[in-house]
Amino acid sequence: MSSIAITGFGVVSPLGVGREAFLSALQDPEKAALASFEGASEVLTDEVAAPLRLAEVRGFDARDYLGKKGLRNLDRLTRFMIVASRIALRDAGIKNDGEFVHHAPERVGISSATAYGSLDAITELLRVAELEAPRYINPARFPNTVINAAAGYVSIWEGLGAPNTTVVDGSCGALDAFLNAQLHLENDRGDVFLVGGGEVITEPLAVGLAKLGALGPSAALDSRVEESFCIGEGAAYFCVERKDEALSRGARLLACVRGYGTAFEPPANEVALVHGSSRAVQRAIGAALADAGLKPEDIDIVASGVRGLRELDAAELDGIRAKLGPDVAVGQPKQVHGETFGASGALALAQSIGWMAGAPLGTLLSGVAPQRVRTVLITSVGFYGNVSALIIETPRETHELD
Amino acid sequence: MKIRPSGRLAWEVQRVKTCRVSRVFISGVGVLSPIGLGRDAFWSALTDGQSGVAPVTRFDTSGLERNLACEVKDFRPRDFMSAIEARRMGRCSQMAVAAARMAVRDAGLPADELRGERTAVVIGTTMGEANVLDELEQAWIHEGDKAVSCQKIPRYGTSLLPIHVARSLGTRGIVQALPAACAAGNYAIGLAGDLIRSGRADVAITGASEEAAKLQYAGFARLGAMAPDRCRPFDRERQGFMLGEGSGMLILESEEHLVRRGGTALAELGGYGLACDAHHITRPHPDGAGSKLAFRQALSSAGIEPHQVDFVNAHGTATQANDPIESKVIGEIFGSRPAVSSIKSMIGHCMGAASAIEAVSCVLTLQHGIIPPTINYENPDPDCDVSLVANEARSTQVDILLNNALAFGGYDGVVCLARPDILPARPIRA
Repeated sequence: MSSIAITGFGVVSPLGVGREAFLSALQDPEKAALASFEGASEVLTDEVAAPLRLAEVRGFDARDYLGKKGLRNLDRLTRFMIVASRIALRDAGIKNDGEFVHHAPERVGISSATAYGSLDAITELLRVAELEAPRYINPARFPNTVINAAAGYVSIWEGLGAPNTTVVDGSCGALDAFLNAQLHLENDRGDVFLVGGGEVITEPLAVGLAKLGALGPSAALDSRVEESFCIGEGAAYFCVERKDEALSRGARLLACVRGYGTAFEPPANEVALVHGSSRAVQRAIGAALADAGLKPEDIDIVASGVRGLRELDAAELDGIRAKLGPDVAVGQPKQVHGETFGASGALALAQSIGWMAGAPLGTLLSGVAPQRVRTVLITSVGFYGNVSALIIETPRETHELD
Repeated sequence: MKIRPSGRLAWEVQRVKTCRVSRVFISGVGVLSPIGLGRDAFWSALTDGQSGVAPVTRFDTSGLERNLACEVKDFRPRDFMSAIEARRMGRCSQMAVAAARMAVRDAGLPADELRGERTAVVIGTTMGEANVLDELEQAWIHEGDKAVSCQKIPRYGTSLLPIHVARSLGTRGIVQALPAACAAGNYAIGLAGDLIRSGRADVAITGASEEAAKLQYAGFARLGAMAPDRCRPFDRERQGFMLGEGSGMLILESEEHLVRRGGTALAELGGYGLACDAHHITRPHPDGAGSKLAFRQALSSAGIEPHQVDFVNAHGTATQANDPIESKVIGEIFGSRPAVSSIKSMIGHCMGAASAIEAVSCVLTLQHGIIPPTINYENPDPDCDVSLVANEARSTQVDILLNNALAFGGYDGVVCLARPDILPARPIRA
């Protein structure tokens, strides 16, 4: 993936909306982590929210970014995704004043991820059908029940005619979306792809996870001893293009994507479903290093997917140390963002770009903070033995992060 | 047919970080459809022009003004998996696993060939385990959230589809679920082909699975997209589709892998095209802009010209919106008039699984030289001017075909399939 560059990004997160707000908040990650979890829930009932800590995007109003028209049938996830994408396109100079600057619309696409899509839209329509009558289902909201609808709306709102793909791989999705974008670029199906993911806190998701005992009251400040995680939400999208083409149009490079790897390992016990696999972590990291042509010592820090589930976290940390050595610095972006599933890899990537720009690293799970962050390995660990890894580095050209 | 190495094999061409290959073959298919389980039963029913329409049995349709659908009948998960496996999954995953195991058997792939890091699983769907969510929600609505079953919650989740397939076959490579609404099958097949061509996998198990659910049924009824009695694609009196369900799976292999193990190619995956209308969340672009782009990409990626295409397996949903636009696109793309058919007239619209099941049908068309019919065709529509294979199957050699699919979100996906060794050798992209 050495020829792929990130030229801009947009974020909707509890830390703020947009690249600058996000990076500014990261200047004090401990404070940012606390801030993310403050405030009463705007999306859950008090009864559901009371025992939980939520990294919720509060005070978000899509009208501030998209205007008033056409929002009525767009759910929260779709609004997050459109806003983050719009900001990313502007940030990268792909669009200016709503118009494409360098590219034809059919050369710009999106490779997106989400784990649960618009779950609240589905359950709400189920309730309408059951408690009222099926004939009261709003046909304008029915499309929101298909998982790719939110990404579809991004293409409609932004006029993106190149491929639009959504991947659902749990917490690995956003990193896997980079693979799919890479395949589209390799096959010349477009020149620029928005790559990332989005997830929202919904009542059915919170209730379901809470019943399984997965959600807890504390953020993953020290997830080595936790048995539960905090749920979060947000969206982050990155403009990804071929590096030489980005340079030729005078784009600023925020980072280069160097390598990707993924792996799946089944559990030892046939009955098990949720499980962690150190071997899968090692394989994914090994594949990413090989793809990047890098050695373990080239990695300055790992942006881990550690979330607060002991078995999965232990497997992840074991795999990281086995592959990169016991002293490698391991950060925990979910300390700030909570578990955001399909968005988690994207938010970790945004945070990693912040680290490369000098943002503090926050509480490390292990290792010593490097003096300067140039190369970051991002790991995402799914619940079912699937693991993905992505390596980014600072651009070697003169177009450094401003 | 047995495949001979095409000149310089992949590993001789480039051996850097990944090993790029030029040709991808389909070596096995598996299918669960509303008109038959397994390729032989499916093909026999298709060529006979059988309809899978019957009264809905799996959910209550009262108040929906429709009561017919194309459900998969007589599917017994235990015929295909252990009790432990069956308990772990919802029905959508069960169908995916069953079809995948059929496809592996059809390909004659020994288990050892799959149990490694070089086998990918890429599965498409629209809503995945929609009925699991419905059950959980029903419990919550009627008995409160305390009645929501902790045993059932883990069966929900679209990401589980490829995980279950990977576990059932022992694969350890890339796993991806691709929800691309009603074009999901084509998206999955195309991406799986990319993974092999780019050297990231040697074998891919790919396709899609979908289970009919009450919410989808009600939603499509409210959109006015479902016919009351039968599906009549390209007919002037068409009223929409019948909701369907099922699973279609294909085994893709690199040329090198197929040659090494002495496998048999059923068809070649020539390439594919993807585009987005960026127009409306449910309606196709009035000029078929994205669809035309996808068609042209598919032709280009396969290295062929429009006149070389013998058959287009149409999306053919029999909705007022789709069929005229699809006809117009086909008319504009092809200088000649390839044969066109829509098997949705028989199997219904299987949503995410539609283009995967139709891909299985396409492979069998290439093998047998028979194009399945579009049944229920009675009244020509001047706005749907295509060379339709109407009502009866047509025996004719088909060397190259395109499988077209469109979907919510403005998705357009076209997959090119061909008889083995028909397509020209293409340069390998750097």
